[in-house]
Amino acid sequence: MNEVTPYRVLDVGAAKLALRSPIARLHADLDRVYPHLPETTHGGFADVRVSLLPGSPLRLRGRQVSLWSEGERPFEPYPIHSALPLFEWGSNYLLSQRLNAYLLLHAGVVARDDLALILPAAPGSGKTTLTCALHLAGWRFLSDEFAVIDPDTGEVLPMVRPAPLKNRSIAVIGERDAAVLGPLYPGTRKGDVAHFVPDRDSTLARHRRARPRAVMFPHFEAGARLHCEPLDSAAAVMRLGLNSFNYRALGAVGFRAAVELARRTKAWELRYGDLDEAIACIETLFASLP
Amino acid sequence: MSPRASAETALLLRALHAPVELDEPGWDGLLRRARACGLHARLAAAQAATPGLPDVVRRHFLSATRIAAYRRKLMEAELFQLAALCDTGFPVVVLKGAAYALQRRRMATGRFVSDVDLLVPAAHLRTMEQALLAAGWRSEALSPYDERYYRDWSHETPPLRFPGHSLELDLHHAITPVTGSLAFDPAPLFARCEPLAGTPFHALAAEDQVLHACVHCFHDGDLALRVREVVDIDGLLRELAVRAGFWDNLLARAAELGLQRPLWYGLHFARAWLDCPVPAAVLATLPAPAAPVRRIMDALVARAMLPGDLDGPPSPGVRLARTAMLVRYHRLRMPAHLLLPHLVRKTLLRLRASIAAKKEAPDASAP
Repeated sequence: MNEVTPYRVLDVGAAKLALRSPIARLHADLDRVYPHLPETTHGGFADVRVSLLPGSPLRLRGRQVSLWSEGERPFEPYPIHSALPLFEWGSNYLLSQRLNAYLLLHAGVVARDDLALILPAAPGSGKTTLTCALHLAGWRFLSDEFAVIDPDTGEVLPMVRPAPLKNRSIAVIGERDAAVLGPLYPGTRKGDVAHFVPDRDSTLARHRRARPRAVMFPHFEAGARLHCEPLDSAAAVMRLGLNSFNYRALGAVGFRAAVELARRTKAWELRYGDLDEAIACIETLFASLP
Repeated sequence: MSPRASAETALLLRALHAPVELDEPGWDGLLRRARACGLHARLAAAQAATPGLPDVVRRHFLSATRIAAYRRKLMEAELFQLAALCDTGFPVVVLKGAAYALQRRRMATGRFVSDVDLLVPAAHLRTMEQALLAAGWRSEALSPYDERYYRDWSHETPPLRFPGHSLELDLHHAITPVTGSLAFDPAPLFARCEPLAGTPFHALAAEDQVLHACVHCFHDGDLALRVREVVDIDGLLRELAVRAGFWDNLLARAAELGLQRPLWYGLHFARAWLDCPVPAAVLATLPAPAAPVRRIMDALVARAMLPGDLDGPPSPGVRLARTAMLVRYHRLRMPAHLLLPHLVRKTLLRLRASIAAKKEAPDASAP
């Protein structure tokens, strides 16, 4: 297949991903979750270059797919119909290992007028849901997984990829006006997964950097009353470090980038049980910034 | 005849010493090939000053350089913590990467460190191990069988780790497996080890460092992608060759310790792949393998060690070569009356584990 299948290149902004696979379902799924990206197969530089190859059709417990990167298989195989989640998860992991020219936060990022709101959070705190909901409320979508910070300029680079919604968030976001979701992958270990598709304008703006303006550490709690508390810069730096993929590995560079980010932004901690209340609160706070 | 590297791999090996000029697709391929065998930070160090690097390549080099520097910091932190325990009545020798770093060798730049290896005299192994355990290092819980494998048949203790640290600590009492055909009394290593200024540690004498790198390179598992260890040997030789009498001392020491064959392999492959300036007379002095063995090893070692197709699984030829090297490794490590029961036991345990694992449902989202 090496001569036959060309690499499909996805330019998502801060990175270029190249993949090839003979699995037709994967390409159909990619068409659905990257509808606004031009289809390219050019042979330039890619930050991640992977092959997704099907396993033996004779496997009794169902056919699998493996992700191959530089001649190795860094992850366990997935069921073959879940090639897209494997590609999304696996390529994000590889990016987190390779983009250490930047400070990488585990965060959603949205922007208004190129002023960015960064939402760093641990898995399970509702970061993806809130990021998608803000985007549907009119904010530009920059990223769901990585806040890619250039330590030289302090700017945040977009990485516009589909956002994996899990379980109940699928319906919460799917019911909103204009929400576009990709295929449903039922019964993964994290439960059901479906990808939210960022809109065309956000995709086209994937090379337009934004200036960080506010940082909000969200935490969803079913039934919780809205509680928003400002954080001072020192506390914000510590929490940025905790929510970073490479803060420690970057050493002094990472520390300075986190301090600069905290100095240039205002930070809050946000606990919420109602998504629309949270959005209204964020809109008000963001508009009130000098 | 010499062991062949593909044109792409030959380019990578050349790029570890001299600037190369490439377009973006060319850099893409070269970086992938370097990543495949853990040489990307070394490539970055070698090409840092190359004019006209595309921005994206510069970024990847910066990324690799930062990770290598971070791992080195972790290693230094580990050594700093170990130093308190190493002011002992016996020499504590740091091996390989940690030694290269403490000796400030050029070849340590961009070299990824994955663990810390210490060598102590066998008589003090228990003392050292107890001191480490008392200071907080822990070893994984092992079955009594594995415990015995390490104690009686290996040249190191089970790997230790300080809780929360990412580097592993291996405590050795020899540099060759005690049951293998290369086994020798390590006393001469300690007799000539050198103190590392400003630390309580020692390093092997220069010649012994080369010999250890050769033994380690050609006698460890299936040799998959171990070309980086040949790069280590090449780096050591280039740095040490300027010393007066180095080659003669190296040959004499190899003869004394019975390590001529591993040295031959090290010199042979360093010269073939990295153009290492090994004098022809030096190689000719060493007893070479017989021509047919040499041809087979050239083919197998190249397939096992050098990166192959990057776009998918290793080819059947590569897998076969690695299996052959694994068989060779076991044969050299243990005599048949120990090896066969050991392999039968390990195979049964692996089968049992894989049957148990299959009961779990496949999963599409976990790491």
